[in-house]
Amino acid sequence: MHPKERRLATTRRDFLLRSGGAAVSLSSISGLLAACGSTTPADNGAGGGWPTGAGGIPLARPSHPVTLERWEAPIASGMKPETGGTFTIFNYPEYIDTAVLKAFGKKYGVTVKVTPFDDITTGVTKLASGTVSPDVTEMTPDLLPRVVAGKLVKPLNLDYIPNLKNVWSGFRSPYYDVGSRYGVPYTVYSTGIAYRTDRVKEDIPNLKPNPWDIFWHAQAYKGKTALLSEVRETIAMALLHRGIKDINTEDPKRVNQAVKDLQELYKVCSIKVGDLQYQTVPEDKAWLNQAWSGDMLAGYLYYLPNKETGKLLRFWNPGYGNGPIGSDLWSICSTTKKPVLAHLFLNYMLDNGVAYKNFVDFNGYQPPLDEIQPETLISKGVIPESLADSVLTERDFGGKALVEGPLTTAGQSLWQDGYATFQSGA
Amino acid sequence: MYPRWLWPLSALPGVVWLLILFLLPLYAVLALAFGTVDPILLSGVPAWNPLDWNPGWMSHVLDLLVPGNILWDVFLRTCRYVVISLVGCILIGYPVAYYVARHASRTKSLLLILLVLPFWISYLMRMLAWINLLSPGGYGLRFLSDTGISSVLHHLGIISDPSNYLSGQSFTVILALIYGYIPFFILPLYASLDRIDQSHLEAARDLGASPFRAFLHVTLPLSKTGLLGGAVLITLPMFGDYYTPNIVSGAPSTTMIGNQIDLYFHGGPQPTIGAAITVLLAGFLMILMLYYMRTVHRASRELAA
Repeated sequence: MHPKERRLATTRRDFLLRSGGAAVSLSSISGLLAACGSTTPADNGAGGGWPTGAGGIPLARPSHPVTLERWEAPIASGMKPETGGTFTIFNYPEYIDTAVLKAFGKKYGVTVKVTPFDDITTGVTKLASGTVSPDVTEMTPDLLPRVVAGKLVKPLNLDYIPNLKNVWSGFRSPYYDVGSRYGVPYTVYSTGIAYRTDRVKEDIPNLKPNPWDIFWHAQAYKGKTALLSEVRETIAMALLHRGIKDINTEDPKRVNQAVKDLQELYKVCSIKVGDLQYQTVPEDKAWLNQAWSGDMLAGYLYYLPNKETGKLLRFWNPGYGNGPIGSDLWSICSTTKKPVLAHLFLNYMLDNGVAYKNFVDFNGYQPPLDEIQPETLISKGVIPESLADSVLTERDFGGKALVEGPLTTAGQSLWQDGYATFQSGA
Repeated sequence: MYPRWLWPLSALPGVVWLLILFLLPLYAVLALAFGTVDPILLSGVPAWNPLDWNPGWMSHVLDLLVPGNILWDVFLRTCRYVVISLVGCILIGYPVAYYVARHASRTKSLLLILLVLPFWISYLMRMLAWINLLSPGGYGLRFLSDTGISSVLHHLGIISDPSNYLSGQSFTVILALIYGYIPFFILPLYASLDRIDQSHLEAARDLGASPFRAFLHVTLPLSKTGLLGGAVLITLPMFGDYYTPNIVSGAPSTTMIGNQIDLYFHGGPQPTIGAAITVLLAGFLMILMLYYMRTVHRASRELAA
């Protein structure tokens, strides 16, 4: 399972559409959700006209930053860290360098253990059920309001996290959590296209009118073309193919059209979905693959069958405001018995040296630190110039950036059903 | 003299096991299929009391299972894959089990060990091995090409791309299903064939039956319970399988019903849909199971008579 494999929420919308009720389906689903108690009363409008999601929290967007209410007071400043025993990190498998964790454990006299989850939504379900009780967890901006509303993560005391100053200024107080009340950034990434220059003949970055269209003209790469197995990314890509930049749309017409476009790919290129692009592209098993920016760096660092292959790998980054960008963060779990140490862990992961080591020695996903610039990485020989596009800058996260933000419950169902329709192969 | 309660008591561990690890989880899935969704965390909330059951999700999924709707397409595809795989297992597995049971005298132990050998390696690893075998340059792909099998399969329209078996082809998924499940089919069948009394066959031959007629009228009917047992043993998990198509295909065009269940359980606001599909699939499989039980019961009665 790839570290970045995530599945988010969606609906059965297109199923109903197929059964003949295009206009009826959303209302019937919403009705069903309401009947089942799954739609919050605050959905779609309690936030002064702005739609809200879990717990009535407004949906965060760069244009509409959200301050999350603290459900309890943060821990007091100036306390000593807890020592001894086990410190548990809830995370994707293979998404953090074990050497970095060992060093942290040695520094504070604890045994650091990673409890992995398959994807972050499953992780949240496990946190909610109480089947795991970690100290810190990896989190995503779209799920943060839900875990805050469910009181699954604790408010932070930033006095313990001075290294927050090392991150890009926009991430010191991000739009999804103004004031960094519940999380600090871990990695950033964009979604684009990974490909091999020895197999793909098109000049993807300069394809007109839209490089995303390559998937709909990939007959020559049949069986070697794949998309990410992720609800939001897959449908967002089809929206962008149509030139629609609202990748948080809850308009059934748009989502259903995107799904129909995706279904065309069965015939065009026998489209596959998966999450091993960081491996399959370097190994020549896939030639054209929707991918996250960290994938080709990870592929370059770890999965090259030979050095020459490294020169063939490319990542097309759609660029500022043209493609989805995202970030992961760290939060402290309510179940922690070591809240001070948990704060220090968050601070540790933002240390310039630690974050850089974790990035280039293991993860391939970039931390949003001022010190990490594409030019520096290339000049140091860490990454080849051909993959410079895989490294993001703070500008990529400006006000016009396309983020996959949280959706309303009905919106999540709409997207999930759309994805299920695509995945059904029907 | 043993006390009367002793033998019934020996069933207690099995009953407890069934209660805790089968009936209770089954009821939990049922309660979830008729339950609700937590409005904040979007996780399923089972309705333990049947009086509180909400039939909305179930009727919604039933609508989707109507011919022409998407779940129906996936269900049909799953049935097609399972039936073809089952036929493949029978065609390959029966001769193997028959040979080991009836004709492998000195090599029987060795062959039995070989039959059990696949269990030593995890199913996942065996499936992953196919990726390398069928990759460009892989031994499996080379063999299929060099022997002309790929050309024949392509000519017959069974595969669309003879140079890339991993490009989301139904044939590869079925091949993997047969490969993965066939050991589970052969063993109960072998046990059944091995138990057939040789004197029955001798009597048939003495009465003038040819070897083929003796097989058809004696061996085959007497191995029916083993055949059905093996079939049930592989059919039930095949219907719920989702990782085999994931590993050897990854294409939506080869999605099975298990993949749809996985999709809804894996996250998102509708785990209840995943639970409802699971319950309906279990109901469908129950029909197959009942047929098996009825056949076994009838065969036992005939033997007793």
